[in-house]
Amino acid sequence: MRHTAKQTRNIFICLLLLGLGRPEAAVPGQNDGPAAAEKTLGIEKIVMCEDIKDYAPANAAVVFSLAIGKVYCYSAFNPVPRKMTIYHSWYRRDRLITSRRLTLEPPQWATFSTIQLREPDKGPWRVEIRDADNNLLHVTRFSITD
Amino acid sequence: MNGFGGLIPFLSHVRWQDLVDVLLVSYLLFRFYVLFRGTYVFRVIAGIGFLWVFQHIAGYLGLIVTTWAMRGIIAFAAIIIIIVFRNEIRNVLQARDIGAILWGVSRKPIETPAEGITAAVYEMAQKRIGALLVFPGKDDLEELLQGGIPWRGVVTKEMLLSIFWPDNPTHDGAAVVQGNRIMEVGAILPLSRRSDLPTNYGTRHRAAMGLCEKTDALVVAVSEESGRVTAMKNGGALEIKDNLALVQVLQHHTGRTPADLNARKMENLKLGAAALASIMLVAAVWFSFSRGLETLVTIEVPIEYMNRDPGMELMDTSLNSVDLSLGGSGALIKAIRPEQIKLRIDLSKAVIGTNAFTITQDNVTLPPGVALRRVDPQEVTVTLDIPVKREFPVQVDWIGKLPEQLVLTEARIDPPRVTIIGGSRILEQISTIYTEKVPLDNIKESGTMLVNLALSPASLKISSPSKEKVGITYSVVKHPPPAVVP
Repeated sequence: MRHTAKQTRNIFICLLLLGLGRPEAAVPGQNDGPAAAEKTLGIEKIVMCEDIKDYAPANAAVVFSLAIGKVYCYSAFNPVPRKMTIYHSWYRRDRLITSRRLTLEPPQWATFSTIQLREPDKGPWRVEIRDADNNLLHVTRFSITD
Repeated sequence: MNGFGGLIPFLSHVRWQDLVDVLLVSYLLFRFYVLFRGTYVFRVIAGIGFLWVFQHIAGYLGLIVTTWAMRGIIAFAAIIIIIVFRNEIRNVLQARDIGAILWGVSRKPIETPAEGITAAVYEMAQKRIGALLVFPGKDDLEELLQGGIPWRGVVTKEMLLSIFWPDNPTHDGAAVVQGNRIMEVGAILPLSRRSDLPTNYGTRHRAAMGLCEKTDALVVAVSEESGRVTAMKNGGALEIKDNLALVQVLQHHTGRTPADLNARKMENLKLGAAALASIMLVAAVWFSFSRGLETLVTIEVPIEYMNRDPGMELMDTSLNSVDLSLGGSGALIKAIRPEQIKLRIDLSKAVIGTNAFTITQDNVTLPPGVALRRVDPQEVTVTLDIPVKREFPVQVDWIGKLPEQLVLTEARIDPPRVTIIGGSRILEQISTIYTEKVPLDNIKESGTMLVNLALSPASLKISSPSKEKVGITYSVVKHPPPAVVP
C-alpha cells in the first residue's frame, strides 16, 4: 500500500492527537532550558535521533556515528495555538550549516528535520529551534563522531 | 683614489656616538699605559698582545696546535695577570686618589729637597753614621724591597739623622724617599752578586748596588767606616766628593737639571705619542668593525606591544614576531645578542578594533653599528577590545568511536554554563564553550569524568567562580538489535 505525502502527514497528526507524544517534564540529552517566546506554544519533546519510525524518534542519543548516514532532529509541540512556522537551524560548532522551515498546525504537532552526514561533519553540533520572529525556543546539542 | 672615494661617504655617516666611542676607549687605553708603564704588568700585557697577533698569524698559516696553545694561554692571561701582579695592581689603585687614576697625567711631581738631604748625608758622613737612601725612578720597587716600615714623613735633615742614628730601630736598612716624603724606612734591598765590586764594599754598598742593578732608582750609601758617600744608579757607582756634587746628582735624578728638563720634554712627547697611538689603535679597531665586509643576517625578533590603554586588552595580533634582516661588519653581527634587539610597537593611539601598523626603523632598537635592511612582514595588525564577562553553555566535544552496540543517550555537564572574560567583539562571535576533545573509545558503561575546557582564542579567560574543568555525567545503553523483517 502506497501513501501520498499528504496522507502520511495526516496519519502522523492523528497518531499525535491519540497521545503518542505524551508531555515529558525533561527533554533527554544535553539541552538548554526552553525559552518560550510565545506563551501558548508548548514544547513537548525535542530530541536528536537516528531515525523516525512509526512517527516517533528511534534511537535517541547525543552522539552519532558518521556511519549511520543521517541524523534527525525531532520536535513535538503541545499545545500549538495556531498555524505557525518554526525553524530548525543546524550549526556545526558556531557555523550555520542549514536552516529548515517547518510548519506547525494546531492543536498539537510533531515535526522533524534531518541532515545527510559526510566526513567533514564530525564534531560538536547544535540545533536551534526558533519561531518566525527569530525567538529562540530551544537548543539541543549532539556530536557526530567516527 | 678609489679607496678614498669610498672613505669619504663612509666618514659622512660617522655618528657623534662613534666619535665618543673611539675617544672614550682611547682614553681608557692611554690611562692604562700611564698607570702601568714601567711595571711588569704593562710588559706582560704587551707580551700577551704579541701572542694574540701570533695566534692569528698561526691560524692564518694553518698551524693548528700552535693556534690552540696560544688561544689557551690568552684565555688564562687575565687570571694570570690578576694573580701574579695583584700587588702592582693594588699599588696603582690604592696609592693614588681617584683623580690621579682618571686624569693625573701631567701632575707636577713634588720636588725632592736635595739641599736638606745633602746636608743630612754629609752630617752623617762626618759623624760616621751609616745610611742608605733610595730615590725611586720610574720602575716599581715593590717586589724588590722587603721588610720596610711605612713612614710617610716629610723629608728634613733632622728626620734623616734621627732615622739613621745608631741604636735607633730604623737605622738598619734603607729609607725610601719619594718627592718630599720618606715613604718607608728599614727596607731590605737585594744584594748584588757581582764579583767585580771594590773589596771595601760592605753589605750596605752591595745592597745599594743590588737595587740599582735591577731598577732605575738612585741609591746613596754613606759608609759607616770611612764616611764616604757613594751614589749608585743603573749598576754604576759614583763616589761623591762634596755636597754640591750630591745636590747635582739628586737634582739630575729628580729631573731638575736642564738636561733633565729635556728628558721631561721627551717624556711629555712620549705621553703625547702614547695618546696618539691609543687613538689610532682604537680608531683602527672601530674602523675594522664598521668598515669590515658587510654581513647580512636575518633574526626573528619578538614584537613588544607597549603603551596600551589600560582599559583595553590585546585580543589578537597578526604577528608575534618578525624577521629582521640586519647588516653590519661581521664582527658586530657575530657579537649581537638577542636581548640587544627590540621591536616595539606603540599602542598609545590604537583604538578598539583592528589597528594596522607598518614596522619602520623607528620601531626597532639595534646595537650601534648594525643597520636594519629589511623587515618581513612589514605590516602587523593588532586587535584591541574592552574585556567583558559573559556566560556561555558548555558542550562536550566527543571524538572517536563508541564500542559497538552502545548508544550514548545523555550527557549532563556540571556546571552547564561557565562565565568567560574576553573581548566584547570576540565574545559576540561565540555561542558555546567546548570541552577539550573527549574520546569515546574507552567508554564501556555509564559514568562520570572531569574534562578541561578548550578556550579559543587563547585570549579568553575563565572568570571566577567558574573552573577550568567541568564534570560530565554520561549514560550509555545497549543499542537495540535491528528489527527483523519477516
